[in-house]
Amino acid sequence: MLLEVREVTKRYDRRAAPANDGISLSVEAGQVYGLLGHNGAGKTTLVNQIVGLRKPDSGAIHIDGHDAVASPGFARRMCSIQPQAQVPINGLSPRQAIETLGGLRGGESASVRRRTAELLGALELGEWSEMDGARLSGGVKRLVSFCMAAVVPGRLVILDEPTNDVDPVRRRVLWAQVRALADDGSAVLLVTHNVIEAERSVDRLAILEHGRVLTEGTPADLKAGVADDLRLELVLEPGAEAPEPPLFGSSFVATANRVVATVPAALGGEAAMWAQNLRRNGRVEEYSLAPATLEDAYVALVGAATQTDISEEETNVRAA
Amino acid sequence: MSALRSYRLLVTWQARRMKMFLPLGIVVQALFSFGIVAGYPLLFPAMDRTTILYLASGGPAVSLITVGLVAVPQLVSQARTEGTLDYMRTLPILRVVYLLADMTVWLVVVVPGVAFAVVVAAIRFGLDLHVSPLVVPAVLLVVLTATSVGYAMASLLPPLVAQMASQILVVFILMFSPLNFPADRLPDWLAAIHRVLPIQAMGEVMRGTLAPDAFPLTLGAVALLAAWCVATFAASSLVLTRRA
Repeated sequence: MLLEVREVTKRYDRRAAPANDGISLSVEAGQVYGLLGHNGAGKTTLVNQIVGLRKPDSGAIHIDGHDAVASPGFARRMCSIQPQAQVPINGLSPRQAIETLGGLRGGESASVRRRTAELLGALELGEWSEMDGARLSGGVKRLVSFCMAAVVPGRLVILDEPTNDVDPVRRRVLWAQVRALADDGSAVLLVTHNVIEAERSVDRLAILEHGRVLTEGTPADLKAGVADDLRLELVLEPGAEAPEPPLFGSSFVATANRVVATVPAALGGEAAMWAQNLRRNGRVEEYSLAPATLEDAYVALVGAATQTDISEEETNVRAA
Repeated sequence: MSALRSYRLLVTWQARRMKMFLPLGIVVQALFSFGIVAGYPLLFPAMDRTTILYLASGGPAVSLITVGLVAVPQLVSQARTEGTLDYMRTLPILRVVYLLADMTVWLVVVVPGVAFAVVVAAIRFGLDLHVSPLVVPAVLLVVLTATSVGYAMASLLPPLVAQMASQILVVFILMFSPLNFPADRLPDWLAAIHRVLPIQAMGEVMRGTLAPDAFPLTLGAVALLAAWCVATFAASSLVLTRRA
């Protein structure tokens, strides 16, 4: 195992609930491992402990067999990180920023230059590569900060919300680059709340909730819980009110112009008729009935609290 | 990876990050020193040679000290708030190298202003200064100490407090520190405080090398500065390494 986290507990405030509460997980080289959970679930706290910015109250973190808590310097050499916050690169062009980071991570000059050009090309950042960082859009900055983590990747690459603000087209190329990092032998720890993208991109994942690992496994493992469910999705006519929840649905979440319900597969026919009726009455623009996704499994596990978040992301992705 | 290479890369990185600020900082520093040298005589038209020498050597000292104690805490607090400092802490570089690289850039900001102020003072007052070659290590020591203190302030205090403290320090340095006037004009209690703080020693080291004919360079002042320098450098470096 390249990364081994065992029973890590971290409390910022003695009176408050712990930010990490006995978290255990492990990531192999060549694996993309998703760390999912809503805001405040403890994802970034865990990352900060892995790279030595914070110290666990108890528990162990091993990177490539070495105790990362005892030697944070070793952890920093092993990890490259794209932090959640934007890295300010005002005054530097993306190319300068990426090349400097490559040098600071110990890369040899010629190969750093080559790799920087390769990343700028792959992520289609050519037109911005010489522009001052202060003038870049949020999405471009995000991609540049990914490149800074990927130019001389660590054995463990940590990406904290890498797709935030990134347009749908570049998201796809970004995921391809994330996969390439793993294929080249790095372990990739991917922190995200974007379940839909995670389903397509990760090999394994853990869902965090209130500082604990709620569940852990492959996307297929996690979906097993909703294997006999269908996902019924309605897009409402503009101005139309959401329909009353049908009796056959096991979950029902309505957002602005969209309704997502989970339906037992055996009642699929009934659900289709119900939706078709709504469409005939002009209340629903379109609907779809499909096997339940990781998102449905996630919602079933975590509850509907994050539903709005997910739907926004999803709308972005589907727009591609 | 060699410390020298990370030092070089970090200096370039910081210089580029501050490239908008650098020329402006240099001009402001020069104007600041110039203002003291040219402005004080307006307040006090009749000045003896000692007063003039105090001004000529005090101006550059004030300029060096304010950058370290005022500008550094403000920019470092800002870097802390926006997360740049934490990002730097995740990189495989030695903390000492990071601090030294940052201080090198500050040195570039202050030195031209100091040189300019000395020249202006010499011309304005018709002084024949015999600047000692020791001025080079003196400037290095003062800048290193001042930026170290500034770094320690920004690292140890909450960002907002650090920024306010640095504002108050401007007045304290300019008006209530024996840089442009002799320490014996201060009330005893304030003079006692200044015997422990590094500000007076910074002034003495600058005077003792800019106008060595008129002012002695004491070992005591150098030792006090060195102690402050080591202590605050160690504190900043420790805070950069600390894991809460």
